[in-house]
Amino acid sequence: MSYLAPETLEQALSALADPGPMRLVAGGTDVFPALGDRPLRGGLIDLTRVAEMKGIAARDGGWRIGGAVTWREILKTDLPPCFDGLKAAAREVGSVQIQAAGTLAGNLCNASPAADGIPALLALDAEVELASRDGTRRLPLADFVTGVRQTALRPGEILSALHIPVQPEGARSSFLKLGSRRYLVISIVMVSAVLWCRDGRIAGARIAVGAASPVARRLPALEAALTGLAPEALGAVTTPDHLAPLQPIGDVRGSADYRRAAVAELCDRALRKALHG
Amino acid sequence: MNTHSDMQAGQDTALPGPTTSKTRLVVNGTERVLEVDNRTTLLDALREHLRLTGTKKGCDHGQCGACTCFVNGQRVNSCLSLAVMHDGDEITTIEGLGTPEDMDPLQAAFVAHDGFQCGYCTPGQICSAKATLEELRAGIPSHVTKDLLANPPLSPEEIKERMSGNICRCGAYANILEAVLDVAEAR
Repeated sequence: MSYLAPETLEQALSALADPGPMRLVAGGTDVFPALGDRPLRGGLIDLTRVAEMKGIAARDGGWRIGGAVTWREILKTDLPPCFDGLKAAAREVGSVQIQAAGTLAGNLCNASPAADGIPALLALDAEVELASRDGTRRLPLADFVTGVRQTALRPGEILSALHIPVQPEGARSSFLKLGSRRYLVISIVMVSAVLWCRDGRIAGARIAVGAASPVARRLPALEAALTGLAPEALGAVTTPDHLAPLQPIGDVRGSADYRRAAVAELCDRALRKALHG
Repeated sequence: MNTHSDMQAGQDTALPGPTTSKTRLVVNGTERVLEVDNRTTLLDALREHLRLTGTKKGCDHGQCGACTCFVNGQRVNSCLSLAVMHDGDEITTIEGLGTPEDMDPLQAAFVAHDGFQCGYCTPGQICSAKATLEELRAGIPSHVTKDLLANPPLSPEEIKERMSGNICRCGAYANILEAVLDVAEAR
């Protein structure tokens, strides 16, 4: 197996264009366990040294999170309350050791239905930056993850960064994960909420649910139902109709009915947590 | 979890280019230059090439924490990382924390509190305990930290949460917690 550690995006992209199977790796916390007993073959491009993929930068009112940024870096960075949900997800991915190596971009490219990072980033309306030798394109995260372990990443492309757009003033957020334990566990379901108030009323909300459909989904009907509500009135607002975009399955971690019931409760709790901490 | 996976991978074709690399690691303060197969994990480089067998191979999948060591001051699972990815990095293993004659306070506390039974997970537990105390001192929040802006308390709850990436199949958790609390409170 050949190994390359490019230091610029240009070098990484030209390495990826070389003939033969080249695999991209950053933290390795999904790639290496997925090998099982098979050896690595072909070539490996290590993205952790690519300058353009490092660091978190505020720009144009929003933020650019480099593709090699780890969960640990998110936790250590001073970010406004709209990032509390993403930070909560960062504290629940794998273990602390995993958080030190694993990247947000890798979580997206791995495209597991149970990826802990996707609901929080969907609720922040994140976009992905996809670099290729032909230039750079941007896609809403909702259009990037297309199915179970499937993304819109084209051959020759690298997910070079995430972009978080400017958030409404006073936006707060939360993330709740249900697992059979807290750590080193695959989520049963998870919910992330971002919401903001004006004149004592909820002025808008974004709610995303993971592990209850092939791809994590926003809940537009619930978001619409929240607008105009008084925060104190927020009790059990989530109804079965609001969960229409979800298609939970039954598996070893829980039945489909259990997942539906858990999502409704978690949505209500996530909203209260975003509002009241 | 987290990595760039790739849509073109999966073929078994061998690529041209070297399959081994010269890798410079600074291990426990000493520079070591290794010629390793690119596929060698950091764990195997430590154990098989440098004969530092204190770092243990448990699951080899990033789930048990037995292989925990420090890379540039951060704890990682050395089984989930290739040695070649750490060219120039500073690695600290259990051997770098203390020796039988001159134990780290955490090593002494694990002995004093009987924080193990078979001992296989212990080096990883002690590395994580060391990191736990440093992370608490640096004010880095965990999942159970209530106030994200205040310094997290040196509580059993915080220590248990931060040690949660290390599994002990003998079930010595109660004594491990006592050992870590002992050192935390002594500081």
